Amino acid sequence: MKRRSKLSIIILIFLIVTVFYPLLMMLIRVQWSNFGNLISSASFKEAFNNSLFVASVATMVSVLIAYLLAFALNRTRIKHRAILKVFLTLPMLIPSISHGLGLINLFGANGIISKTLNFNIIGSAGIIVGSIIYSFPIAFLMLDDGFNYIDNNMYDSAKVLGLNKWQTFKKVTLVYMKKPLLSSLFAVFTMVFTDYGVPLAVGGKFLTLPVFLYKEVIGLLDFSKGTMIGLFLLIPAVISFLFDNFTKDYANGEFENKEYKIEKNGIRDILLTCFVYLILIFVIMLTGSFIYYAFINNYVLDRSFSLKHFDYVISNNIGEYIFNSLTISILVSILGTIIAYSAAYITGRIKGKSSKLVHILTIVSLAIPGIVLGLSYMIAFRNSFVYNTLFILVLVNIIHFIASPYLIAYNALQKVNPNYEAVAKTCNIGLFRVVKDVIIPCTRKTIREMIAYFFVNSMITISAVTFLFNTKTMPLSLLINNYEGDLMLGEAAIISLIILCLNVIVKGTIYSINRKECRRNEKNEINL
Amino acid sequence: MVSLEIKDLKKIYNNRTVLNSISFDVNDGEFLSILGPSGCGKTTLLKILIGIENCTSGKIIKNGHDITKEDPSKREMGIVFQNYALFPNMTVLQNVMYALNLKLKNRDKAKKESLKMIKMVNMMDHINKYPHQLSGGQQQRVAIARTLALKPDIILFDEPMSALDADNRLVLRKELKSIQKELKTTMIYITHDQEEAFSLSDRVMVMRDGNIEQLDVPNVIFNHPKNEYVKNFVTKHLIEKVSSIEKCTGIDL
Repeated sequence: MKRRSKLSIIILIFLIVTVFYPLLMMLIRVQWSNFGNLISSASFKEAFNNSLFVASVATMVSVLIAYLLAFALNRTRIKHRAILKVFLTLPMLIPSISHGLGLINLFGANGIISKTLNFNIIGSAGIIVGSIIYSFPIAFLMLDDGFNYIDNNMYDSAKVLGLNKWQTFKKVTLVYMKKPLLSSLFAVFTMVFTDYGVPLAVGGKFLTLPVFLYKEVIGLLDFSKGTMIGLFLLIPAVISFLFDNFTKDYANGEFENKEYKIEKNGIRDILLTCFVYLILIFVIMLTGSFIYYAFINNYVLDRSFSLKHFDYVISNNIGEYIFNSLTISILVSILGTIIAYSAAYITGRIKGKSSKLVHILTIVSLAIPGIVLGLSYMIAFRNSFVYNTLFILVLVNIIHFIASPYLIAYNALQKVNPNYEAVAKTCNIGLFRVVKDVIIPCTRKTIREMIAYFFVNSMITISAVTFLFNTKTMPLSLLINNYEGDLMLGEAAIISLIILCLNVIVKGTIYSINRKECRRNEKNEINL
Repeated sequence: MVSLEIKDLKKIYNNRTVLNSISFDVNDGEFLSILGPSGCGKTTLLKILIGIENCTSGKIIKNGHDITKEDPSKREMGIVFQNYALFPNMTVLQNVMYALNLKLKNRDKAKKESLKMIKMVNMMDHINKYPHQLSGGQQQRVAIARTLALKPDIILFDEPMSALDADNRLVLRKELKSIQKELKTTMIYITHDQEEAFSLSDRVMVMRDGNIEQLDVPNVIFNHPKNEYVKNFVTKHLIEKVSSIEKCTGIDL
């Protein structure tokens, strides 16, 4: 058999076992007779309505903030764009539960700010604000990217046609930004609707759907009910998935773009700059609160300097958890990148019979919330040898995060000249050889991006792994949940900081490698 | 001597007949052009000849051996693409040397041989440059050198000059002709440019909708086109030229 068909078959089997099989097993286990009971129960109705409300409000605000930020960075004369972009996306480097934690630190019952002003944010308000903070960077990146794909020649045409500002916005900007805007709306809604990190931290008694699922499964071990709730979590994800895959995108980038000419507008610039820095201050304050909480004696009674939280985490084998998290994240980065790249190679360049199925199985993970994926793994692999090992955590993370790295690899590989393999074939150069010597070097920046994505997300995730860890394999991120539950905010803050630092190190390393290569290329004038 | 025999080659793709049982021979050392509009099946034919696509039925016989199901790497054929397909992460020399080095497993020999080919395509001044630092014509020269270096029996060209400007085309055309004279390699050249086909080829094959309309020496095709289609197709560019000259000069030709 040809090696490329062997590769396709291996990847296909892997995806069937890791994506299709667990979902199927989960659905088989459901006792559908109880479905009526579930949806008519008061707690379900409450949780569903709460989730819907929280997710709707958070999505609107989050995307609005994201759009204003993207607009400010692309269409005003704001300074230090690159560094602002880095800091604005900082929240993506810590677990969602940490955002909740940060809010408690600042605005909780004994928060730094709320205590003096005598209010607290626990409940729906907390969930909304926390959700906004951890979701807006993603919407921001999507919209920021969207601005790059607007054909700027259209603005000149609009001017020639005598369109006013509002008409131009409607007929040019909005046409191109429609897809990124709607995509980000769907993506943020899905994220918030299915996240249980923020509600767990700042929700108080305010019950949301994911927390309801979590409690049923962890507390009551009711997998059937858990799955049925999980199906409701799938709804927005599936809609968003279908939307993304079946809408036409005007912004295909198939034009010679020129730089957008930013017109002078002092008031606009000042207002938006203030807005950007306001958001930035808020983001930094949340992170800063971790540092403060990590070093104070007691956040209610005694706010003097103390290292006792550090002593505590160290004496509680923090090293082991760091080791677990690093092992998981490194393995996920390496294996995940290999699998996602191979899958993208099959669908993007080999295009055999199985490529459609590989494509669908790979991106379908976009539509499965982590908590549902984790549940399905628990049900499907409970009696297998991988259960209770670190490897199942690696596996679930790979599948949970595979869609985005796969898609960037797919896009990158499609841009690589389609004839390299044909040339290699006629020259008697093996497929693996040409991939190693040509295709991989041509896409190495993409590969680095994939590695970073897998790493960072494996470090911060709590959703997919929450049903699958044991005391020996527990990753760092889940420790936050434990400490937070025990009201040990100082310790939880330290863990958040450790995760942030590790992620910053990895991102920074990748960034500096790219920079170095860029500079070297400029010197040699290599431009890949 | 016949180098390549194509017998009843048929390709059906998605219920559409792309190649309709075509048969023809290519002689040893011959320069054969395949001429036709886009969608006539010429590129599919080329892909089947080189082996990156399968035919539905029919046979390809090279030097007496049936190679219809042979792997591309064993056919001893080379291909030059319209978009050059040079490896962007390698210099000119590395591009030409890459496959040869793997084949010979002898760096010095591979380098010597590669330099010879680079010299033949007049690219000696650029051996350490990367593809993006070269013009389209220069890149195509390197691609030709890369193909020549492996000394294939037959080289296939897939519209190699359609991405180049008119001046470049003319120069490269001349160079290609002289290379062919020197090496006497059999070449099959796909194009939709009549002028290119007629100036380069020993014989020209005109295709339409998966069929061969006429296959003969340029002289015969031009003076005795088999049918109205061939006549129109091969004289079209002349008529255009004449009318544009008439327009410019006001002289009635």
